[in-house]
Amino acid sequence: MTTIITAVVLLTLLALVFGVILGFAAQKFKVEGNPIVDQLEATLPQTQCGQCGYPGCRPYAEAISNGEKINRCPPGGTATMEKLAELMGVDPEPVAAVEEEPVKKVAVIREEECIGCTKCIQACPVDAILGSGKMMHTVIAADCTGCDLCVEPCPVDCIDMVPVQTDLRNWDWKLKGLETIPVKFVEEEKSC
Amino acid sequence: MLTNLEQLDNGVVWRIPGGIHPPEQKHLSNQTAIGTLPLDEYYYVPVPQVGEQASMAVAVGDHVLKGQPLTHGLNQHHLPVHAPTSGVIKAIEPRPSNHASGLPVNTCVIQADGKDSWVDLQSASLETLSNDDIVARVQAAGVAGMGGAAFPSHIKLSPASDIELVIINAVECEPYITSDDRLMREHADKIISGMEIIHQVLTPQRIIVGIEDNKPEAADALRKALSASKLPAGVARVTVVPTKYPSGGEKQLIQLLTGKEVPSGAIPAQLGILVHNVGTCAAISDAVLQGKPLIERVVTVTGGNVAQPGNYWMPIGTRVDHVLKCCGFNPEADQKVIIGGPMMGYTLPLIQVPVIKGTNCVLVPSSAEMSVDAKELSCIRCTECAQACPASLLPQQLYWHSKSGDYDKASDYNLRDCIECGCCSYVCPSDIPLVEYFRVAKSAIRNANEEKLKSERAKQKFEAKQARLEEEKRQREAKAKEAAERRQSNMSGGDKDAIAAALARVQAKKAVSAATPEAGADRKDKVADAVARAKARKAAQAAQSDSPAPEQNQANDAQKDKVAAAIARAKARKAAMQSDNEAEVDTNQTSAASSQKDKVAAAIARAKAKKEALKQALQAEAPTDSDNKSADEAADTLEPKADDRQARIAAAVARAKAKKAAAKDAGVNDPKGQIPEQNSVDSIAQSDPGELSAEEAKKARVAAAVAKAKAKKAAQQAGDSKSTVEDTQAESAEPKPEVELTAEEAKKARVAAAIAKAKAKKAAQQAGEGQGSDAHMQKQPADVNSAEPDSNSEPADVKPEAEPSAEEAKKARVAAAIAKAKAKKAARQDGEAQRPDNAAPLNDERSEAMSPDTDQSEQAPAQSAEEIKKARIAAAIAKAKAKKAAKDAEDKE
Amino acid sequence: MAFKITSSPHVTKNSQTATVMQRVILCALPGLVVQCVYFGWGSLIQVLLAIAVALVAEAAVMKLRKRAVGVALGDYSAVLTALLLGIAIPPLAPWWVIVIGTLFAIVVVKHLYGGLGNNLFNPAMAAYVLLLIAYPVQMTTWVAPAPAAQYSPDLLASISQIFLPGSGDINLFRLGIDGTTMATPLDTMKTGLSMGLTSTEVLAKPLFDEGLSIGWFWVNMAYLAGGLVMLKLGAIRWQISTGMLAALFICSGIGFMMNPDTHGSPVFHLFSGATMLAAFFIATDPVTAATSNRGRLIFGALIGVLVYVIRQYGGYPDAVAFAVLLANLCAPLIDYYVRPRTYGHRSGN
Repeated sequence: MTTIITAVVLLTLLALVFGVILGFAAQKFKVEGNPIVDQLEATLPQTQCGQCGYPGCRPYAEAISNGEKINRCPPGGTATMEKLAELMGVDPEPVAAVEEEPVKKVAVIREEECIGCTKCIQACPVDAILGSGKMMHTVIAADCTGCDLCVEPCPVDCIDMVPVQTDLRNWDWKLKGLETIPVKFVEEEKSC
Repeated sequence: MLTNLEQLDNGVVWRIPGGIHPPEQKHLSNQTAIGTLPLDEYYYVPVPQVGEQASMAVAVGDHVLKGQPLTHGLNQHHLPVHAPTSGVIKAIEPRPSNHASGLPVNTCVIQADGKDSWVDLQSASLETLSNDDIVARVQAAGVAGMGGAAFPSHIKLSPASDIELVIINAVECEPYITSDDRLMREHADKIISGMEIIHQVLTPQRIIVGIEDNKPEAADALRKALSASKLPAGVARVTVVPTKYPSGGEKQLIQLLTGKEVPSGAIPAQLGILVHNVGTCAAISDAVLQGKPLIERVVTVTGGNVAQPGNYWMPIGTRVDHVLKCCGFNPEADQKVIIGGPMMGYTLPLIQVPVIKGTNCVLVPSSAEMSVDAKELSCIRCTECAQACPASLLPQQLYWHSKSGDYDKASDYNLRDCIECGCCSYVCPSDIPLVEYFRVAKSAIRNANEEKLKSERAKQKFEAKQARLEEEKRQREAKAKEAAERRQSNMSGGDKDAIAAALARVQAKKAVSAATPEAGADRKDKVADAVARAKARKAAQAAQSDSPAPEQNQANDAQKDKVAAAIARAKARKAAMQSDNEAEVDTNQTSAASSQKDKVAAAIARAKAKKEALKQALQAEAPTDSDNKSADEAADTLEPKADDRQARIAAAVARAKAKKAAAKDAGVNDPKGQIPEQNSVDSIAQSDPGELSAEEAKKARVAAAVAKAKAKKAAQQAGDSKSTVEDTQAESAEPKPEVELTAEEAKKARVAAAIAKAKAKKAAQQAGEGQGSDAHMQKQPADVNSAEPDSNSEPADVKPEAEPSAEEAKKARVAAAIAKAKAKKAARQDGEAQRPDNAAPLNDERSEAMSPDTDQSEQAPAQSAEEIKKARIAAAIAKAKAKKAAKDAEDKE
Repeated sequence: MAFKITSSPHVTKNSQTATVMQRVILCALPGLVVQCVYFGWGSLIQVLLAIAVALVAEAAVMKLRKRAVGVALGDYSAVLTALLLGIAIPPLAPWWVIVIGTLFAIVVVKHLYGGLGNNLFNPAMAAYVLLLIAYPVQMTTWVAPAPAAQYSPDLLASISQIFLPGSGDINLFRLGIDGTTMATPLDTMKTGLSMGLTSTEVLAKPLFDEGLSIGWFWVNMAYLAGGLVMLKLGAIRWQISTGMLAALFICSGIGFMMNPDTHGSPVFHLFSGATMLAAFFIATDPVTAATSNRGRLIFGALIGVLVYVIRQYGGYPDAVAFAVLLANLCAPLIDYYVRPRTYGHRSGN
C-alpha cells in the first residue's frame, strides 16, 4: 500500500515540477508577434491584386494564420497554395479558377487612347503606372505585377494585359518543346 | 597570391579530379590550312545590347563599309558590333538567334554588295599607346572572348585587382574542334603579339600558355614565336598538359597550372589570375596594332556529313546554312546541326542563324558518330558520374533533386558550381541526360530568384503607397478640420442656420429613400432628384445672397460656395447611385425602358446640378454681378471651359455607369438594345448645356440621326418594341442647332462620346449572357457593313467644310470607335453562338474588324494619313477587343 | 528542313547497366565452381532454380506495373540477385526455401520499393535474413566439405534432397569422416568457444587443416580472385571492399591480440563464411550502398565492424547478411553527412 502512495506522490510531484518548468519556459521563450504571418506573407506572390478578397497580401497572410482558406490566391497558383498548406499544416486544396501554369502578364496602355484621367494610377496597388492628370499614362513594365486591377477603372478601356515574352534571358531550357518548331521561328519564307 | 613561381617556371602540372577521355576526332579537320568561304548575300549581325546599353549607329537603308561600327554606347559594358562586309542595311528587326532555343534577337540584316570594301583603319604601334588607349581600342574593336563565352575582353583587361598570372588557354579540350590548333600553327606570331599587348596593360609576373599534348605542332609553333618575341625573358612559357576533357575549362585550367581553386561565385581575377583564349589574343593584336575590329574568326566545320571539313575564316554574321552549303552538307534523316563540340555544343533548331563571336565550331555528325538516342533508365546509383565530375559534385543527388523540382536541395548540393561540361552524362550507364536536368533547374532557380526580387519590390511599393495614402488622408482631414473651425468662427448665425437646414434636409431625404426601396421608388427617385436640384440651387443661392461686400467675406463666400457646390455634387452623386441601386433592385417591376428613361433623366439632372453648382462658384468669384442670368452667360463664356469639360465628361461617364447598371439588371437578351441607347447617349452628350458650332451641330445631328436609323433597324431585327421608346428618346434629345461652340468644347464632346461608347461596349459585354440567335449572327455582319457607309459618310461630309485636320481626325476616331463597338458586339454574339469553336469567331471578328478599316480606307482615300492611321489603330484595337470579348464569353461558360 | 534537337553531351561512353551486371556475374562464377567442387552440385541447382524463379517473378511484376518487361529482364539485375542468394543458402536446402527467398527478394524487396535503383535494402541479403529467421533449421544444415566428408552428395542425391526433402536423411551428408556432424567453420568456432574450448583447440578439429578451414578457405579465395578481376575491369570501385576487409581485419586483429584464445584470428575471419563474397559481390551493390568515395569507405568499414561484432558477440554464426542490412539503413545518413568537397568551396561546405 505504501508503495502505491509513494508512487502517486512522487509522480504528482514530478508533474508539478515539470509543469512549473514548462510554464517558465513558455514565458521566457515567448515569441513576440506571430512569425507564421511573416512566413506566410513571404510565400505569397506580392501582386497586391486583391483577388483573394483581402486588400493586399499581408492582410491575406494574417487571415490565413487565423484559419482562412489557403486556396484563394490565383496569381500564386498551385505551387503557392501547397507551400501555404505545408506552413499551416492543412491539406492542400485546389485553387479555384487557375490554369496549370498561370501565364504572367503585364499591363500595357495604348497611349493614343489614354485621356489622362489617372483612374488607373489610383487603382494600381504598387504604383507601377507613371502619369499625371491630363498627361499620358504609361505602365512601368518592370514594376507591373499583372494583377489586373487597372483594366476595370479605365473609362476608355485602353489597357491590355499582355503575356510576358520569353527571351534568351528567361528561357527555361526545356528542349522538349522545341521538337515541333513553332511557325514564328522558321524564317524560311523571308527573302533574305 | 601566386603559387610558387618556380613551380610555374618548371612547368609543374597539377591534377584535376574526374574528367573523361572521349574520342578526339580532331584529324577530320586539322589536316588542312584555314580556308575562306565565298561571300554570302546576306549577313545577320545580332545587336542584342541595343535598347539597353547601346543604340544603333546606322539605320535601315544606310550603306556601310566592312568594319564600320553598327552600334554605339556610352558605358563600359557596351560591346560594339561591326559590319562584316560592305553593303546596305536591309533591316533591323528580330531574327532567330544562334542559340539552343532559336528565340528571336534584334538583328541587323546587311545585304552585301560583293565589293567587301574596308572602312579606313587606324594602325598604331605599341610604344605610343597608353593602357587606357589600348583598352579603348580593344573595346572599339568589339573584341570578346573567342573560347565560347564571348565576354567583353576590354572589361577583362581592366580588372579591379592586380593580375600576377595570365594564362593563355590553348587547350581546346573538346573533341572535333581544331580552330585554335590551326590558328596557332599558322598565326603564332599574332598570338604572341597579343600576349605582348596584354603584358603591357596588365604587367603580370608570368604568362603561361596551357596546351594539350595532342597538339605538338601548335606547341612548337608557339614556342618558336615566343623565342622571337619582345617579351622579357622568363616571363612567358608554354606548358603542356595531359589530354583530358575538360582541362580547357577556365577553372580547371587554373587548377591544372597552379593547383589553386577559384572560390565558388568568384572570378579568377580575385586570385590575381586572368585567362584569355588564343583566338582572343590574336584579335586583341589586330585591334590594337591595326585598328581592325573583330569581324571574322576561325570556325571549324566538321562531322561525318560535310564533304569538306576543315577550318575557315568566317565573317561574324555569316549564316550557318551558307556555311554548310559551301562545305558540302549532306544531311541525313534526323540530322543534328551542333554549334560547338559534341560535349558542350547545342543543337540548332534552324540553321538560318548567324555565326557569332563565340562560335568556334559547326558540327554536323552522322548518326554513327554520335550516341544513339537511348531511353532514360532509372539511376542505379553507381556514382560513375561523381567519379567523372571535374568539380567534385554529386551529380546523382543533383539529379534526384532537379528532377523532383526540389531546387532548394539542389542548390544545397552546389548546383551553381556545375560547369555543364557533360562528363557525368557521358559516363552514365542508364543514359540519363543529367546536364539537361541541371540546365532546367538552373534556369528555374534563376527565374525564381528574379521573381522573389520582383515581389519584394512590389511589396515595398505597395507599402509605400499605403503609407502615402494614409498621409494624404491624414493631411486632408487635418485641413478639413482646420477649415471647418475657421468657417465656424467666421460664419454668422443666419448662414449657420441655412446650412444646418440644408444638411437636415439631406438627412431626411436619405432616411426617406433608404426606407422605401420598392416599386414606387422610381417616382421617389425623380422627386429626389428634383429636390436635390432645388436644394443645390437654394443652398448656392443662400450662400451667395448672404455674402456681404467686404473682401474677407468674399473669400468666405467663395468657400461657402465651394462647400455648397460640393454638397450639391454629393447629393447629385448620391441620387444617381441610389437610382442605380434601386433600378438594380427593380428588375421585375419596371420595364427596362422606363428605368433607362429615369436614369437618363437622373443623369441630366445631375449634370445640370453640377453645372449649376459650378456656375454658383463662378458667380462668387465674379466681381459684382449677382444676377443668375448673366452669371449663366459668364459661366458659359468664361475661362472654365475646363469645368465645363469636366462636367460634360463626368456626365458622360456617369451616364455610362447608369447604362451599365441598367444593362446589368435588365439582363437583356437583345444586346442590340444597346445601340439605340448608345446613340441616344451620344446625342445627349452632344446636347449637353454647352454650345455647338454650326458644323459641329450638324455633324452631331447627322450622327444622331444615323444612330437612330441604326437603332430602328436593329430594333426591328430584334423585334423589340423598346425601339420606339428609344427612338423617341433620341428625338427628344436632338441638339440645339443654333448655339456656338469652340473647337475645344467640340473636342471634349468627342472625347465624352468616346468614353460613352467605351462604357457602352463594356456594358454590352456584361449583358451578353443572352443567346445570339443565328439570325442575329447573320444580320450582324450585314449590320456592321451596312453601318459602314453611314459612319464613313461623316468624314466625307466633314471635308468640304475645311475644318482643321485635327477635327477630322477626331471624327474619324469617333467613327472608328462606333465601328469598334459594333464589331465587338458582333464578335461576342458569334463567340457565344459558336462556343466550342474558337477559331471561327476570331476569324469573323477579324474580318469584321478589318472591314471598318478597309471600308474606311477605301471610301475616303483622300483622308489625311493621320486619320487613316488612327482608323487603322482603332480597327486593330477593335480586333483585340473582339478577341477579348470572345475570350470573356468563353470564360463565362 | 527540321533538325533534330538533343541536349548536350551528344556522345556518351555507351556503358550499360547490363554490361556491368554481366561482368559481376561472370566474376562470381569461379567461386561458384569451387563451391560446387567442395560441397556438391547442390549450389548450382539452387542457383539455377533461383535464376528461373527470379526471371519469372520479375516479368510478372513488370507486367503488373505496366512497364516494359524486356528492359527489366535485360539489365541482368534479377539474375545477379538470384545468383547471390543461391550461393548464400546451404546447398541441400529444400527447393521451397530458395523459391520463397527469391520471390521475396524480387517482388517485395526490389519492386515493391520502386524497382531497380530505388530499393533501400540489398534484395539478396534481405531475403537471406527472412529465410534464416523463418527456417532456421534448413538454413543451418550445411554439407561437410568433400575432403572431410563421409558421404558427398552426387548429382542425383543433391537433386533428390532439394526437390524431395525428407526423402533421404540430409544429416548423412553432414557427417565427417570421424562420424561427427560438421558445421560451418564459423558455427564450429562459435560453438566451441561457448563450450569453453580455446580457438586453437577448435582449429584442431577435423574441419580445419593447419588453421585454415577445408573447403571454405578456397571458396573465399575464389571469390577474392573474382573480386580482384572485377576491380581491374572497373565493374566495382575499391572503396567498399577495402573498407570492409580492412575493418574486419583490424577488428579481429585487435580481438585476437587481446585474447587469442577466445577470438578467431584475422585470417580465420577473412577466409571463412561469406566474407569475400560479401566484400566484393554483396556489399558493393551500388543501389544500396553509399555514394561518395569517403562515404563508401565508411560504409564498408561499418559492415566490417558489424560483421565482427555479430560474429563474436552476437547470436548468429555468420553475420554478413545482418551487417549488410544494417549498413544499408545507414547509407542515406552517410550520404547526407559525407559529401565530397566541391571545387571552390572550403571543406565543410
